[in-house]
Amino acid sequence: MKITLDILQVLMLILGAPLVHGIIARLKARLQRRRGASIWRPYAELFKLLRKEELVPPTSSAVFRLAPIVLFGATVCAAAFVPVVHASALLGSRGDFFLFVYMLVLGRFFLSLGALDGGSAFGGMGASREALVSSLAEAPFLLGLVAIAVLATRADIAGMVAWTLEQNIFNISAVHILALTSLAMVILAETGRMPVDNPTTHLELTMIHEGMVLEYSGRSLALVEWASAIKLHTMFALLIALFFPWGMAFSVSGWGVVVALLLYCAKTAVLMILLSVIESAVAKLRMYLVPDFLGVASALSALAVIFTMWVKR
Amino acid sequence: MLTGPIGAAFVFLLAVLSVLVPLILIASRAEGARRLAVALIVTASFAGCVVAVSSFLRQPGPVLDLSRATPFPFSLAVDRLSAFFLLLVCAVAIPVTIFAAPYFDLHYSERRRNWTWGFFSMFLLSMIVVVTAATGFAFLVGWELMTLVSAGLILIEGDSTERRHNVFIYLLMMHVGAAAVAACFFLFLPYSHSLDFGAIRAACLGMPGGIRAAIFLAAFVGFGAKAGLIPMHLWLPRAHPIAPSPVSALMSGIMLKTAVYGFVRFAFDFLAGGPWWSGYVVLVVAAVTGLLGILYAIAENDLKRLLAYSSVENIGIIFLGLGTSLMFLAHGAPLGAALALVAALFHAFNHALFKSLLFLGAGAISNSTDSVNLNELGGLQRRMPFTGAAVLIGCCSIAGLPLFNGFVGEWLTFRSFLAGSTLINTKAQIILPLMVGILALIGGLAAACFVKTFGMAFLGRPRSTGSEQAEEAPIGMRVGLALLSAGCLAIGILPGLLLRPLVTLVQVLVPGAGVPEETLSIARIIPWTAAIVLGTGALVALFKRRERIARTWACGLPGLTSRMQYTSTVFSKPIRFVFARVYRPDRKVEELPADQHYFPVSISYRSVRTTSYERALYRPFVDGVVSLAYRLRRLQTGNIQVYLLYIFLALVSLLTFLRFQR
Amino acid sequence: MGLVGIATEKILSSFSVFLFLTILLLAVARRISSSVLLFGLQSAIIAAEVLATAFQEKLPEIYIVGALVFVIKVVAIPRAFFLLTKRLKTVRDVKASTTPTQSVFIVAAIIYLSYAAVHSYGGAVHVPDDPLAAAISLILTGAFLMVSRKKALMQMLGLLVLENGIFLAALITTFGMPLVIEIGIFFDILMGLLLMGIFTFRISDTFEHLDVSKLRRLRG
Repeated sequence: MKITLDILQVLMLILGAPLVHGIIARLKARLQRRRGASIWRPYAELFKLLRKEELVPPTSSAVFRLAPIVLFGATVCAAAFVPVVHASALLGSRGDFFLFVYMLVLGRFFLSLGALDGGSAFGGMGASREALVSSLAEAPFLLGLVAIAVLATRADIAGMVAWTLEQNIFNISAVHILALTSLAMVILAETGRMPVDNPTTHLELTMIHEGMVLEYSGRSLALVEWASAIKLHTMFALLIALFFPWGMAFSVSGWGVVVALLLYCAKTAVLMILLSVIESAVAKLRMYLVPDFLGVASALSALAVIFTMWVKR
Repeated sequence: MLTGPIGAAFVFLLAVLSVLVPLILIASRAEGARRLAVALIVTASFAGCVVAVSSFLRQPGPVLDLSRATPFPFSLAVDRLSAFFLLLVCAVAIPVTIFAAPYFDLHYSERRRNWTWGFFSMFLLSMIVVVTAATGFAFLVGWELMTLVSAGLILIEGDSTERRHNVFIYLLMMHVGAAAVAACFFLFLPYSHSLDFGAIRAACLGMPGGIRAAIFLAAFVGFGAKAGLIPMHLWLPRAHPIAPSPVSALMSGIMLKTAVYGFVRFAFDFLAGGPWWSGYVVLVVAAVTGLLGILYAIAENDLKRLLAYSSVENIGIIFLGLGTSLMFLAHGAPLGAALALVAALFHAFNHALFKSLLFLGAGAISNSTDSVNLNELGGLQRRMPFTGAAVLIGCCSIAGLPLFNGFVGEWLTFRSFLAGSTLINTKAQIILPLMVGILALIGGLAAACFVKTFGMAFLGRPRSTGSEQAEEAPIGMRVGLALLSAGCLAIGILPGLLLRPLVTLVQVLVPGAGVPEETLSIARIIPWTAAIVLGTGALVALFKRRERIARTWACGLPGLTSRMQYTSTVFSKPIRFVFARVYRPDRKVEELPADQHYFPVSISYRSVRTTSYERALYRPFVDGVVSLAYRLRRLQTGNIQVYLLYIFLALVSLLTFLRFQR
Repeated sequence: MGLVGIATEKILSSFSVFLFLTILLLAVARRISSSVLLFGLQSAIIAAEVLATAFQEKLPEIYIVGALVFVIKVVAIPRAFFLLTKRLKTVRDVKASTTPTQSVFIVAAIIYLSYAAVHSYGGAVHVPDDPLAAAISLILTGAFLMVSRKKALMQMLGLLVLENGIFLAALITTFGMPLVIEIGIFFDILMGLLLMGIFTFRISDTFEHLDVSKLRRLRG
């Protein structure tokens, strides 16, 4: 029964991802005083893309065709590490958060290779900038997770969630605040959102993620877009699980799960509103200011790790 | 002793490599003789693997004692640690030898081929002697032989002034390291009265702390110079790129690991953990090595020099694990020490596999395109699909991606850092989790570096005529690449294969530790992860897909050429810009003619990167030594009466000394 | 106890975390207006802490101190700064001499240093660790801002942050100084601000800029 619930969690993360994308797009449109497209539009787009034929550059090789599949598989696997409605995940095990982070790295590695295979300058530009951002974003990501792990004396994400569930919500710990700020900044960098990257840009010089997917079409483009939506949804779920998990079901009973699901939707809604506001209010950083942004995140997460020493007295 | 089939196999291995193969190669220049020699080397390596595995399972292993024939005690023994490294040497030697057979045929003339194969087998022999040595004399003989034979292999390739300069630096630094290693052994002499490893181990218990600290430092410096820790790694990016590719694979893949073997033997087996500061020193040096290594690798455009710097980075990661283990030992936490040591040794084995794979790939590339400059390659995946697939597996492994073997070693190192938070000492409690950040940064930069490497070499459009006309590598090379790729994938998906023997080994080296459960949990979860990723991929691939070849979109511009792609130099520019303080290139822009500032006929731009430690550390040191030497030249006047005066003065001072000693 | 009591307790136990956040954000702020906003936020947190202490210790004069802090440092001084920036028409950039990454690592080191210093006194002073460490961090960060920011307005702001730190330290260790001394200190600050305001006007008038690194004519 627990395994079924874990599998359902993963399916929810995968299938609900385009909806999250759609809602954020609509919220941003409303903030910009437009009406915005329907929140179900990403699903329609995925269906459309899956049926279209693909146009493939003449210089591309098997890596170009393989990259979206590996990216999708890796992102789906990463989604299997995050608890959503109860403090357990499908692939949860000790030390799994390192594996989670590196699964996302695997996806990005192949996406960059696919971008370089197109043989144009856009792919190279996107891949080179992505290399800069992702190499600097890993350290604060892992340090933030390590700070929480040291505080909770558990090494798996589900264990950290269970520990947080036992704490009092009003006991604000410096470690948590610093780790939350740092992880929020890293999530903005990893998922390619403002102020690090503009997901709706059409100008080559401002593209990072968009530049890498420029050559893809048809089924490959559907996989890449879906993978990026799953990544955003999974990061939201991770943030909620690590910092605001209260409401998760303790036992696998019907009512508990329903309540946990509703609370999860509410928390995700809050995060979506926050993200839309940030994206509409903040200007994109110049590319050589992004290392400063990530440097601040690194300092915050290093400070969080240092603070665990005093909290655990 | 030497009884039974295992003992016979051991003797066979040594005899083939030391005597049989050179004799065959000296005796005849025929093609058949060479093929026989290659087959013998491969069979002997296979025998070596069998010896290693069986010695691991059943101790005591074979012991070969030649003390009666040599001036000093010379004996070889295979205990568990030696067996692990013997397996490493022989297992990597097989694919490299198979690759080298067609490679040397295509690159060398007949006469040189025989010499090369002779040196090749001596090289393998020297490494086997080093890891199975049971006396100090045997160890030092093997150590020296490794250096000399590899220098010989480099010089066979060519004889230019620059090559000789690089070999000179290589020999110089290797001998500095060897002096430190010899000092290590000799410091034991007053306490153990012999250089037999058993006697040394027993003598360690009663030695004073000061001597143990001195031995640890000498071992760290000596083996660190051989392994390539900063700042003693000057020789690595000079020597590895100029050797022929199979020899580079052996040097990078195996020779660096013999240094790791030496350090483990001294620090863990003999000294049972260094002084209390040992962990900190090793961690700091290793962190700097890892970071600077990968930063210099990213800035390189020459594929083989990039791989050499990447070896420096991986040695840094291995020593991060070793330093963590020493820190746990110093604070009395044997379980954590065992975990960190498993991580370090596992990563050492993995590095041997994937670095050899990458160097062999570079050899295949240079064989097909006559170039290893990333700015001149490109589009090779369509022309050399098999080589491309093998090099892709190597790049994924070295970037530490899950499902390939590099990841598990890094995962274990991360877990051992995390376990550091349970130590009592507050300094260690904080430093170890912070090292997670440093290793994450190193890993991120490594992934970026190998995206560049594979992308520029194999993907996109060809950037030169050599790449346009590249052909797939011959079958022998492909077999070698395939064997190493299979090894990387196997250990990546089923890490338990190697982890369980390693845990047994570490329990011997770190007494009192149990089985770290992290090794079990990772062995359990990785196959499931692989199943999910591959399953999802297969599910997706089932859906029908139509495809049509159409031009690359480039804002509608017709006629894209290969010069409109990103090159390797440009790809690494953002990272080089952010870390500009590390690189500090000397830039010179020259406009000709100098007085026509607004209408120049030609503008040249030169950017030279000298590594910062070279400028700050080595140059002043070398200049000081040379100036001291000049001043000492004045002692040699050429006048015979001055020399007689020297002898007279020596006698007088000796008498004075004797007088005042009373 | 009631809701107010619970809120007071929570404020007293966790306000230092938010002070750390404000000084970390001050390290990376690139515009004078955002630095002033952060200073206002900092002063608001300190005012809340003063009021919470007053409620818990039941000392009525501390209420007046809290009100004074709020009026002067949260309302009056930031408004004065905004008026100054508008009148002086200076460029809004903060002109830091260290990059944001370096600044934030320096401030993180300052926070670590303050905690280490506070720890070595341990329980000798009967004062909770976090607020005292926050106070010392504020002092050191104020000094760092004065050293590394080249705009004259930022020097003023650094001095104000420093004064915030001293005030907080005094508050924690003595649970409020006598009211007269508090008023004296505030008056001091006001006079200092007035003088700085006049001088920045004169400097900007004479030299057309407010970059203190260029004001080095008076050399020995």
